[in-house]
Amino acid sequence: MDIRMAGITKTFKPDIVALEDVYLNIDRGEFVYLVGATGSGKTTLLRLITREIVPSRGQIVVAKRNLRKLRSSHLPYYRRDLGVVFQDFKLLPHLTVYENVAFVLEAMGIPSRIVRERSEQVIDEVGLWRMRKNYPLQLSGGEQQRVAIARAMVNSPAIFLADEPTGNLDFHTSESIMKLLLSINAAGTTVIVATHDQYLVDAYRQRVVELHEGRIRRDEERGRYFVDGEL
Amino acid sequence: MASFNYALRDTFRLIFRHWGLSILTLVTAVSLFFLLGSSALFSLNVKNIVADVENDLVITVFMRAGEDVAPLLSTLEDAEFIDDIKAISPEEGLSILKSKLGDQAKAVSLLGENPLPWSVQIMVKRADYATPLVRDLMSFPSVEEVVYAGQLAEKLSRASYIMNRVSLAVLALAIIITALVLYNTVKIAIYSKRREISVMLLVGATKSFIAFPFVLQGMFLSTIGAVLSVALLAIAYPVIGNMIHNTLMFINVLDDRDLLFRLYLILVGTGMTLGWLCSWFAVHCYIVSAGSPD
Ligand SMILES: Nc1ncnc2c1ncn2[C@@H]1O[C@H](COP(=O)(O)OP(=O)(O)O)[C@@H](O)[C@H]1O
Ligand SMILES: [Mg+2]
Repeated sequence: MDIRMAGITKTFKPDIVALEDVYLNIDRGEFVYLVGATGSGKTTLLRLITREIVPSRGQIVVAKRNLRKLRSSHLPYYRRDLGVVFQDFKLLPHLTVYENVAFVLEAMGIPSRIVRERSEQVIDEVGLWRMRKNYPLQLSGGEQQRVAIARAMVNSPAIFLADEPTGNLDFHTSESIMKLLLSINAAGTTVIVATHDQYLVDAYRQRVVELHEGRIRRDEERGRYFVDGEL
Repeated sequence: MASFNYALRDTFRLIFRHWGLSILTLVTAVSLFFLLGSSALFSLNVKNIVADVENDLVITVFMRAGEDVAPLLSTLEDAEFIDDIKAISPEEGLSILKSKLGDQAKAVSLLGENPLPWSVQIMVKRADYATPLVRDLMSFPSVEEVVYAGQLAEKLSRASYIMNRVSLAVLALAIIITALVLYNTVKIAIYSKRREISVMLLVGATKSFIAFPFVLQGMFLSTIGAVLSVALLAIAYPVIGNMIHNTLMFINVLDDRDLLFRLYLILVGTGMTLGWLCSWFAVHCYIVSAGSPD
């Protein structure tokens, strides 16, 4: 699932320029860190891919689908190819861990036996088997994050987007989550991680795309969080 | 099938989560369909009675006290539109009345002296001969009163026409209120799940999938309301019918099982349709047209 962005500008009312003239290609199976200070446009870029928003200018094509022209009746089917870990998790507080994960598949109308098998498998993979009947508010931040990851990967997405998945987590928890993301990537899924976690970026070196005030400032293979010499 | 089960489960969750609202909606729906059903039963009965008496070809003429029937009889004898004509003496009249009244006959006996005058029963060949004949009979000085069912039928029809107008307005209002309550209940349910709905949209649920439980919720509440009201009607109608028949014996309360069954079926069908319409409308306003990207 290739992602092609050409000349993307996104402005918000009244005159906030969140992204400006962004050209970015991400190939199938890549692992990309999206780094940059708060407000640099990372979340906006991810929301363009999920098509929560459309660009003010420029084209974005995902898997040969021009998202600007995507018909709203096709949008649900497009989103089934994506797995998204939102910055604020967006877990549903009145559903258990299991239900939070399973309802993605239920929403696709998948037979309940398969829903059960697959959901349980994913919950086990993220290490939450013992907590599958708990509610999100009974879990720690790292555990909630893992529920969000489980929910994002349960539909075996072609593209996996994670917005600050290790924000506010201690190093060990962050590391285990990072390993989860790498294993998802190893299975062939394109993974894009927006983060400002310097340790992780430097510990697991991957392609780094740096945003600065809405523009791409740097794009390098096996990059570090900061440009060499900046610190 | 899986998604239908999911929707069904969600529907019941919605209904129980907002149980107070669900009960309010149910009560409103039951009231509406009870009102609808009972006014339908009322007008069906009026129609039935009117039809009954309209076909009654008998005209009863009551003479003034002490007047003789012979002149009247001889005038009418050779009229070809008359099938049968019979003079009834006060004594005969009293015994007929007593047999009609059954238990209440004692009251008549208490009157002591026979209060009835001579009367004449005329049977016309066709109902439409009755009205002109009645007019003629009234002009006889020896005639005190002319009673014929057609008159009653006319009065009843006129009364029920006016009542229908009034009850139609009341029913329209009741339908509007119920529709608003249903619409609102579904709207509130949608509102309470807006977070869930936005997440569902993000993970690729179609709008119709998301909307389905809400449509079911509205339909379910409305249909159950209709079913409950039908149950109430089915219990109350025979009881009230009996009461009416016991006090006003000349009224035959409608007891056509087929017709009643059809009426009840129509009520339930109306319940389903109303629920579907209202929730579809709410869903359309708050789910289907929502969530387009900015
Ligand atoms: N919906 C919005 N309306 C107005 N401004 C927005 C909106 N979303 C983001 N922004 C602005 O766009 C800029 C980039 O935001 P964002 O993409 O969230 O940055 P990051 O995720 O890198 O912190 C910020 O200045 C932010 O305030
Ligand atoms: Mg952000």
